[in-house]
Amino acid sequence: MNSEADNPGFIQRADHFGRWLENSCLAVLLIGMICLASSQIFLRNFLGGGLPWADEALRLMLLWLALLGAVAAARDDRQIAIDVLSQFLPPRPQLFVLAAMNLLTSFVSFVLAWYSFSFVAESYQYGDVVLTDMPAWMFQSILPLAFFLLGYRYLIWTVRRVIMFFRDTGNAP
Amino acid sequence: MIGSGVVIVLLALLGAPLFILIAGGAMLGYLRSDIDLSAIAIEIFGIAEMPILLAIPLFTFAGYVLSESKAPDRLVRVTNALLGWMPGGLAIVAIVACSFFTAFTGASGVTIIALGALLYPALQQSGYSDKFNLGLLTAGASLGLLFAPSLPLILYGVVAQVSIDDLFIAGILPGILMMAIVAAYCLWMNRHNRQPISDFSFREVFGALREAMWEIPLPVIVLGGIYSGYLAVSEAAAVTSLYVLVVEVFIKREIAFKALPGIVRESMVLVGGILLILGASLASTNYMIDAEVPQQLISVVTSLVSDRTSFLLLLFLFLLLLGAILDIFSALVLVVPLILPVAAQFGVHPVHLGIVFLATMQLGYLTPPVGLNLFIASYRFNEPIVRVYLATMPFLLLLMAAVILITFWPGLSLFLLAE
Repeated sequence: MNSEADNPGFIQRADHFGRWLENSCLAVLLIGMICLASSQIFLRNFLGGGLPWADEALRLMLLWLALLGAVAAARDDRQIAIDVLSQFLPPRPQLFVLAAMNLLTSFVSFVLAWYSFSFVAESYQYGDVVLTDMPAWMFQSILPLAFFLLGYRYLIWTVRRVIMFFRDTGNAP
Repeated sequence: MIGSGVVIVLLALLGAPLFILIAGGAMLGYLRSDIDLSAIAIEIFGIAEMPILLAIPLFTFAGYVLSESKAPDRLVRVTNALLGWMPGGLAIVAIVACSFFTAFTGASGVTIIALGALLYPALQQSGYSDKFNLGLLTAGASLGLLFAPSLPLILYGVVAQVSIDDLFIAGILPGILMMAIVAAYCLWMNRHNRQPISDFSFREVFGALREAMWEIPLPVIVLGGIYSGYLAVSEAAAVTSLYVLVVEVFIKREIAFKALPGIVRESMVLVGGILLILGASLASTNYMIDAEVPQQLISVVTSLVSDRTSFLLLLFLFLLLLGAILDIFSALVLVVPLILPVAAQFGVHPVHLGIVFLATMQLGYLTPPVGLNLFIASYRFNEPIVRVYLATMPFLLLLMAAVILITFWPGLSLFLLAE
């Protein structure tokens, strides 16, 4: 990541903080899931009944975990992709293709964010509930949030690669 | 429709993330059929409506923790103590250890990273040729995919709505067949190098078992828990991850508390990638079913082939091609819903289809030009990729023979289920 080495300071610190924040959220969610699921098994097998809300809570935590995992993957551009043709391109055209794919990813993510937002807004209006009496929109809001962050992340990747494209003819990232 | 399909494939080959293309394709379909685009969010929210999916992050995390600890060393030591006395034993040790490890780490390429560093120098020392070792470890790391609790097996169960318990049982014999074929080749190739690496010693067996006493109960927890009826698959995953966490962090203390968030991140990046593709493909699959794509597929396929054997041949060739370009998880969620009804038309059992699907996709890990294990091995062992291609080729051909057997002999997969 050349652009970061070029201007340390704010960007680097922001990246560091963002990474820390992602790691913390993921760790808290996952460890929470492990503890909740395990205690549920314990309660059911030994005390004859579990917490009634636990199964639904676990599934919601899984959704959050999955989407936050995808956001974390975007920081290092590590989404699952095939990437055959660009391997055969020389570095500069490769950068161009990368930038174009990043832009596409960003665009689709923003579209997803927008329509997820309208899904959540609708759910808010209808007063949908999860976990017996919690408002559903609070839990669903991870959808627009995560897709927005993905869109934002890939917009940054696009800009980075465009800058690299014009700056040096050297190594592809 | 065909035009946009071609564009999507082209973009995929250029490296656009798969979930973006799947979600984008679904939204284009919605636009055409006047469906409100926010339906895609409802579909992705569907991730939160499948309890079985909990097993995926939990098993993946357990696998990553194991691979970051010294458990791989202990696994190699135990296998060595038990099997190292046989002539050509070290190759067998490598095969068994790799399979075991891959089953537990979800077939994501961690096996080469975790076990390669231990086994490669050991194989070299015992006088095996470098090319052989390279091929053996690259191919060996793909073995074990058919054994419980491997991630692709679970994901197939989710997508095809087949009992995961049944899949775990069905994978046993085909998985053993693949291991046996590779093992036989190793013994034959090294028939002039029959020096066993060590004598059998009860003392060493005892010492190795003692050292690994915390990890040895793992298969019992997973399989015993599931088949005794005490635990559902996702519960077995929860117990496994809790157990692994307690053992490696608090009892063995091989993983510092500080290192945990990093391991969580690594494993959840993979899980997020898989589940996002699954979520997006829930949307695209529903659209394709509405658009009657499976029916069209059935009529196309029935015009090409007429009986089950020729259908299986067509399926095998198709999956071989698919595996060469697409990773196993994306292929699962995208293709299984479409071929399931076609296979049913030809009387193929859904469990057998799953085993065939995964076994053939397993070859995809080793198929040039983009097989995942080839790249990881090239990176891990610092060898040019072409040399890895060549070294892996004999193993790939042998495994292909095994997969052909698995495909055309449904009994091998279904025999234990009938018991």
